[in-house]
Amino acid sequence: MSIRGPFYFAIAVVLLTACGSNSTTSEVATSSARGTLIQNPPLRIASLDAAALTAKLNVSASGQQLLELAQTPTCGVDFYYIQYWTVGGANETATATGALMVPTGTAAQCSGPRPIVLYAHATTTLKTYNIADITNPSNTEGALVAAMFAAQGYIVVAPNYAGYDTSSLSYHPFLNGAQQSKDMIDALSAARTALPQTLSAATTDSGKLFITGYSEGGYVAMATHKALQAANQTVTASAPMSGPYALAAFFDAVFYGDVNLGSTEFTPLITTSYQKAYGNIYSATTDIYEPTYATGIDTLLPSTTPIDTLFEDGKLPETALFSSTTPVTGNPTLDAALAVPKNPIFALGFGASNLITNDYRVNYILDAVAHPDGAVPVPKPGVPLAASPQNTLRIAAKLNDMRTWIPHVPVLLCGGDMDPTVYFTLNAGTMQAFWAAAGLPPEAVTVLDVNAAPTAQDPFAAVQVGFQETEAQIVASQGEEAAVESYHTTVAPFCTAAARGFFSQF
Amino acid sequence: MSMTIKAAGATALIALSLSIARADDGVPSNTVRVGLYYVHYHTSADDISGPYVPTGLNLSVNDVETLYLAYVRRISEHFDLELAAGYPPLTKTEGRGPATLGSVPYNGQVISTARWFAPTLLLNYKFFDDSHAWRPYVGIGVNYANFYDRRSTAAGNEASGGPTSISLPVSVGPAATVGMSYHLQGRWSLFASYSASVVKSKLTADTAGEMRTSHISFGPRALVVAAGYAF
Repeated sequence: MSIRGPFYFAIAVVLLTACGSNSTTSEVATSSARGTLIQNPPLRIASLDAAALTAKLNVSASGQQLLELAQTPTCGVDFYYIQYWTVGGANETATATGALMVPTGTAAQCSGPRPIVLYAHATTTLKTYNIADITNPSNTEGALVAAMFAAQGYIVVAPNYAGYDTSSLSYHPFLNGAQQSKDMIDALSAARTALPQTLSAATTDSGKLFITGYSEGGYVAMATHKALQAANQTVTASAPMSGPYALAAFFDAVFYGDVNLGSTEFTPLITTSYQKAYGNIYSATTDIYEPTYATGIDTLLPSTTPIDTLFEDGKLPETALFSSTTPVTGNPTLDAALAVPKNPIFALGFGASNLITNDYRVNYILDAVAHPDGAVPVPKPGVPLAASPQNTLRIAAKLNDMRTWIPHVPVLLCGGDMDPTVYFTLNAGTMQAFWAAAGLPPEAVTVLDVNAAPTAQDPFAAVQVGFQETEAQIVASQGEEAAVESYHTTVAPFCTAAARGFFSQF
Repeated sequence: MSMTIKAAGATALIALSLSIARADDGVPSNTVRVGLYYVHYHTSADDISGPYVPTGLNLSVNDVETLYLAYVRRISEHFDLELAAGYPPLTKTEGRGPATLGSVPYNGQVISTARWFAPTLLLNYKFFDDSHAWRPYVGIGVNYANFYDRRSTAAGNEASGGPTSISLPVSVGPAATVGMSYHLQGRWSLFASYSASVVKSKLTADTAGEMRTSHISFGPRALVVAAGYAF
C-alpha cells in the first residue's frame, strides 16, 4: 500500500479542524472629518470602583488633600483613551487624543443619564502628556478632575490638545481660541460617539453640558463656550478658571514689565502657535529671540525633555524674559516704565541671559503706546481692545482675546488675586468689566477670588477659607517664596471645587 | 539555521533514507491509532508589556485533554514514522499576577482561549523485534503548532480595556517521545507514550490599536494512551 493515501487523509482530517474565526478589536474610522472617533470603542485604560479610587488617592499626601476637598468618591470611574480627528492652527487635518471618564457604580448618580463636564487642562511643556493615563502618578490634573467630577457622577471629557501625546500635529496651537475650541468640540463629539460603545454604557449623556478648565484651560474653556454658543449648541454653564481671557491686555502688561512666572515657557509656545496660524509673527526667530536661544526655539515646546533639563541645557532661560539692561526708546517716561520693576516677582523676569531682544520689546511697546489696549496700562471705560495694533503679535493677541462675546448662560470666573502666573484681576476683572459695559446683568457672571475674605452669605466661603488655610500652611512650612511659586497650582483644586458647586445648581 | 528547521530537516532526511531501504517483511505497513491526549503545559512567559500595563502581569495555560489521532507508517522492523495530532483542543489562558487591575479581576481569570492545530511528525525507534509483544520506543521529530479561533474572553476584554484581538504566530519546534507498545492480538495493539515539544510564540493583544505583547514558551508535555489497528 502506498504511503500517500492514508498520509494525505490524516493531513486532511487535521486541516479540516483548523477552521474558525478570531475575536476582533475596535473599528478604525475611515473618515478624518472633525470630531470623528478614530478607535471605536476606545481603550479603557483603567477601571476603579469608588473604594479603589479612594485607596489610590489615599496613597499620597496630595491625594489625601484632594479627597478632603472633593469628598469621598460616590462613584467608580472608568478611564477611556479617546483618539479623534480635529484640525491644527492653520486648519490642517490632525489627530488628537484625550480622556473620557465615566462614572460607574450602583449609586443613583453613577449611571443612567449624567451631565458632561468638558474640561480643558493647564499648560504643560511635556509633549507626552496624557490626562487619560490615571496609572501615571504624575497625572495630578487627571486625578483632580476624576475625583472632583467623575467620582461624583459627572461624565468628564478632557482633550490632551493637538500637539500632545500621539497627536499628528507637530506643534501645539497654544492660546489659539479658534483652534482650541474646535479641539474641545471635536473631543466632545468623539466622546459622545464612544460612550454608548464602551464597557460603561450604562452611563449615558443627559444632554447637560458644563465647561471648565484651568489656566490655559481656563482660556480654552471660555473660547469653547463662546464657540458652542455661536453654533447654537447647548451649554448649561461654564466655569473658566485662572485663564488669560483678556489676552491682548495680558501680553501688553507683560511687555510693559509685569512679567509673569512661567513667561519663558509660555512665550515660545505662543510665538510658534501664532506663526503657524498666521505666518507673520516673525521672518526669522531672531526677530524676537536673542541669538543664544533663537535656533530651534520654534520647535522646542512642547518637548519630550523635562523643562528643568531644558533650563539646565541652556535651551531656555528659567525666568529672564527681558534684558536687565533697560532699552532706550527716546522717550524718557517710557524708558523709565521699561526699567527693571521694583516688584521682586516681576523683577525675576529680567536678567543678563534673557530670551526676548530689547529691539523686539521696544517695537512691541511703541505699538502699544500708539495703539493702546483699553485695559493696560490704564483701564478705560468698557476696557475695549486696541483699535488697530500694527505689531503682528499684538494683532494675534487681539484676534484671540475674549473681549468679543457675551455669554447667554451663567459663568463662574474663579482664581486667586495674588496669582503671579496668570493675573486674576487683569483677566477675570477685565472680562467682568467688559461684560458689564456690554449690558450683561451682574448676576449672569460670578467672579470668585479664592483669596478674598469670605462673607456670611458667600456660597463659596468654604473654598476661600480652605485655600487661605492651605496657603498659610505652605508659607509656614516652606516659606513665602515657595508659596508664590506654587500659588497658581494651589488655587486649582479650590477653584475646581467651586466649579463643581456652581454646576450643581443646574 | 534555527534548531527547529534543523530538526525538521534531519527527520525528513532520515525518513526518506529509511523509506527507501525498507524491507517487505509481510508485517502490515500502516497503523492508525486512536486514544486520549493529556496535555500539561509548563508555561513560561515574559511579563506582558505595552501601553498602560502595570508591572508583573503574566499568563499561564490550563491543561487540556483531547482526542489523539495518529497515522504510523512502518519503515522497518525498528523504525516507524508517526504523524500524531490531537483533535484541536480549546486551550484556556489565565491571567497571573495581581488579583485585580484597578477593580477588574485578573489573577486566575480565563482571559483568552484558542484552539491548537498542532501535528507532530516523529521518527520512532522501536526496541526488540516483531516477535515481542512489549516494545518500548523512543522518537524525535518536529512539532508544528497553529493557533486559531483565538478569542479574548469577556474577562479578558475587561482586563484589556475593550474588545481585543489576539495574534499568536505559528510555532515550529523539535519534539521527542518515549513510549511503549503492546501487541494485543492480530492487528490490534495498545500504546502509551510521553512526549515533549518546544512550542514558542509571541502573543500580541490589540485593544483599540494599543499592542500588548508577551513571548510565551508553552512547554507542552503530552501523555498518550491509545489503541492501534494495523493494515
